[in-house]
Amino acid sequence: MGTTVAPEKVLKELSELWVSHGEADAGVLRACSITLVVMAEGSDDASALGETLAALMPEHPARAIVIRLSGAGPRALTERVQQQCWKPFGLGKQICCDQIEITASDEALADLPSVLLPLAVPDLPVIVWCRSPRLVKLPEFSDIARMATKVVVDSAAFPNAADAIRWMAGAALSGQTVGDLSWTRLTRWREMLSHVFDNREYLAKLGGVGSVRVGFQPPFEVCAWLMGAWICDALLDGGVTLRPAVQESAGADSTMQVELQAPDLKVEMNREDERLVIRVNELVSCTNLPQPTDYLLMREELGIVQKDTVFERALASAARLTYPTDK
Amino acid sequence: MPHDNPFQDQLRFERQVPECAVVIFGANGDLTKRKLLPALYRLAYDRRLSAGFAIVGISRTPLSDDQFRENMKSAVQQFSEDTDFDANVWQTFAQGLFYIAGDVADQDLYHRLAGKLEAIEAERHTGGNVMFYLSTQPSQYAEIALGLGAAGLGKGSGWRRLVVEKPFGHDLASARLLSDQLHQVFNESDVYRIDHYLGKETVQNILAFRFGNGIFEPLWNRRYVNHVQITGAESIGVEDRGGYYEEAGALDDMIQNHLLQVMATIAMEPSASFEARSVRDERSKLLRSIRPMTPDEVRRNSVPGQYGPARIGGVDAPGYRQEKKVSPASQQNTYAAVTFFIDNWRWAGVPFYVRTGKRLPKRVTEIAIQFNSAPLHLFHQDGASSGANLLIVRIQPEEGISLRFLSKLPGAGMTLRPVSMDFNYGSSFGERSPSAYETLLLDAIIGDATLYTRQDMVEASWSVVEPIQNVWRQTRHVFPNYAAGTWGPEAADEMLARRGHVWRKP
Repeated sequence: MGTTVAPEKVLKELSELWVSHGEADAGVLRACSITLVVMAEGSDDASALGETLAALMPEHPARAIVIRLSGAGPRALTERVQQQCWKPFGLGKQICCDQIEITASDEALADLPSVLLPLAVPDLPVIVWCRSPRLVKLPEFSDIARMATKVVVDSAAFPNAADAIRWMAGAALSGQTVGDLSWTRLTRWREMLSHVFDNREYLAKLGGVGSVRVGFQPPFEVCAWLMGAWICDALLDGGVTLRPAVQESAGADSTMQVELQAPDLKVEMNREDERLVIRVNELVSCTNLPQPTDYLLMREELGIVQKDTVFERALASAARLTYPTDK
Repeated sequence: MPHDNPFQDQLRFERQVPECAVVIFGANGDLTKRKLLPALYRLAYDRRLSAGFAIVGISRTPLSDDQFRENMKSAVQQFSEDTDFDANVWQTFAQGLFYIAGDVADQDLYHRLAGKLEAIEAERHTGGNVMFYLSTQPSQYAEIALGLGAAGLGKGSGWRRLVVEKPFGHDLASARLLSDQLHQVFNESDVYRIDHYLGKETVQNILAFRFGNGIFEPLWNRRYVNHVQITGAESIGVEDRGGYYEEAGALDDMIQNHLLQVMATIAMEPSASFEARSVRDERSKLLRSIRPMTPDEVRRNSVPGQYGPARIGGVDAPGYRQEKKVSPASQQNTYAAVTFFIDNWRWAGVPFYVRTGKRLPKRVTEIAIQFNSAPLHLFHQDGASSGANLLIVRIQPEEGISLRFLSKLPGAGMTLRPVSMDFNYGSSFGERSPSAYETLLLDAIIGDATLYTRQDMVEASWSVVEPIQNVWRQTRHVFPNYAAGTWGPEAADEMLARRGHVWRKP
């Protein structure tokens, strides 16, 4: 360990780790489909993050580079290498992925791109998962984001919803592929709502929709704006121009409630514990919807490396709704 | 009104089931309880079903809707292997469960069904879409289809589909007759012949593996493939299905449908698209290319078997002739091994060895593709290099793909040893794989027939199997010819030995 990090030394250490592992065990399979750069504050729960990464590896085997920001202090970078291994049931061999942990002071952030670039696995996507809203605003972050195929953030962690939307919309507008776990949280909700309108009888009533309400509980304000924006984008495609009513619903049991109303159609959705309940007029349907953990959300996001045009459109609409004076 | 649902998001959404009613004939049977209801409940649990989805169970036993719901609840609780039972999900799912008691020979049943479907359409907005699932004795298929037709249920305001379970006839003539009867009411495109093997993830993955990757297809031909072995082995005997087995046998029960479909999938030409019609056209073309055998060829290239009693793991296992509802002098095959040849440019001369049997050492279904050896043995490793390259596609119990190749042992010398590169479905993708019935039910409701068997495919496989059937029926076999718990009769080993090959022991 030192106060600088030499990428070649890190790669050599990794290589030695593989050799020693191969000698000790009957056989090891190396797996890698992406480079996953995780940026976290020093205060972020290290063991919870470790468990999330371990759970993700079997489905998205990655070279994981975890950068922990130690905050203010002298310019310093340190590293250590390890492996994430698992033994699938019925297989004699272990499957292992690389994991590199880098600790950096805020001062040393500017040194990171030159370290990360050689450590990224060639020819595979690089996904940066930034867990800290503070980091995305640091000027050095843009250099790291530039080398990424996709940057994933969780806007629910941002202190201000409108700022979060504005930052993401700006990044998307500049050509960066952005993922937001608030959007990922909406997938199953959106899917269920969409499914209602697979029914042609209900689809025929779409033109009559006169109101869209989305209620939320903190910290899911960005979720609510994205949901409202997405619904109104879809209604616009169906010939209806509406502005969603997005409001904090104090005291509600559900983290979010969605309601669409037409003269002869009312669709309501809300979460009840581990279930999503959807009411379409008199019909009620209840399905399994586990509380989304970081693991479940990242599992979905890591599966989508390309641009998500539906999200980008909803994001741009949400930005217009929350910052109507922006272009 | 928009023509298409503007809320669709193909990047993130899973396939959904359109609103419809599923009518299950044989609603108190084992298949309904063990497979169909657990699969439909799982689809509801996974948010795949529409709010108005409905099921109408039909059987002779008088039951109320509530009694039927209770029975199905017990079945789902008992037979859902990897799905939590959620009382709230069940409650909304069960609101769409209905029951009609009646005899399929009684035309009044179909009129009552028509009334029930009308009511469901009005209350649950199913759009008039109905899928009829025949989970009954095959002898009732035609009667039910004709009954539905007479009541005007073959057509309606939405789509109408008919799903039938195997066997599709017991020979070519009966298969044709059954199709003709079904076609009196349903178009061929609305008839879904279910073969649950095709719903298994690995069988579908064969298509992804072959046609999604560029590196394997160039090797997939007579120039590089030495031979192919397809094994469908079961460790259990006929259990209490002796009566059924006396009629069917291993050849008809497994090879005619499941294993020939698997063979068609592994050997078919690439289709122009992944549309159901294109894929099924290619599979059908392959089945029609399998060389039918003359009686002499049947004797050389096929081996029937029947298990005898044995002691397995300290327990006495009865022979087939000692099983319930089996004749003590039965000539029925519980094992069948056949060497097939495909008469096309890709596969000419490559033997496809297909075997299936009851009471074999373990339950395993797999395809092994043996590649030719390297043309020159540079490393003086005659033993190791012969048959070094083997690709194994495991269908059950652990779905996955393994590739075996030679590697240098670390050290100064040049010693080679076979190593295996494994892909295991369950572990490589931690996600739960849907059951075959979930996949197939979803496909049928969506209208995707890719994994279903078409009439011409059924007829093509009967055309291949019937000559074998005929010779075997005319022969007085010396049965039993293999002990329970072994890999089948010696004659099957000899059949391969004549071409210098050996059965794998999976």
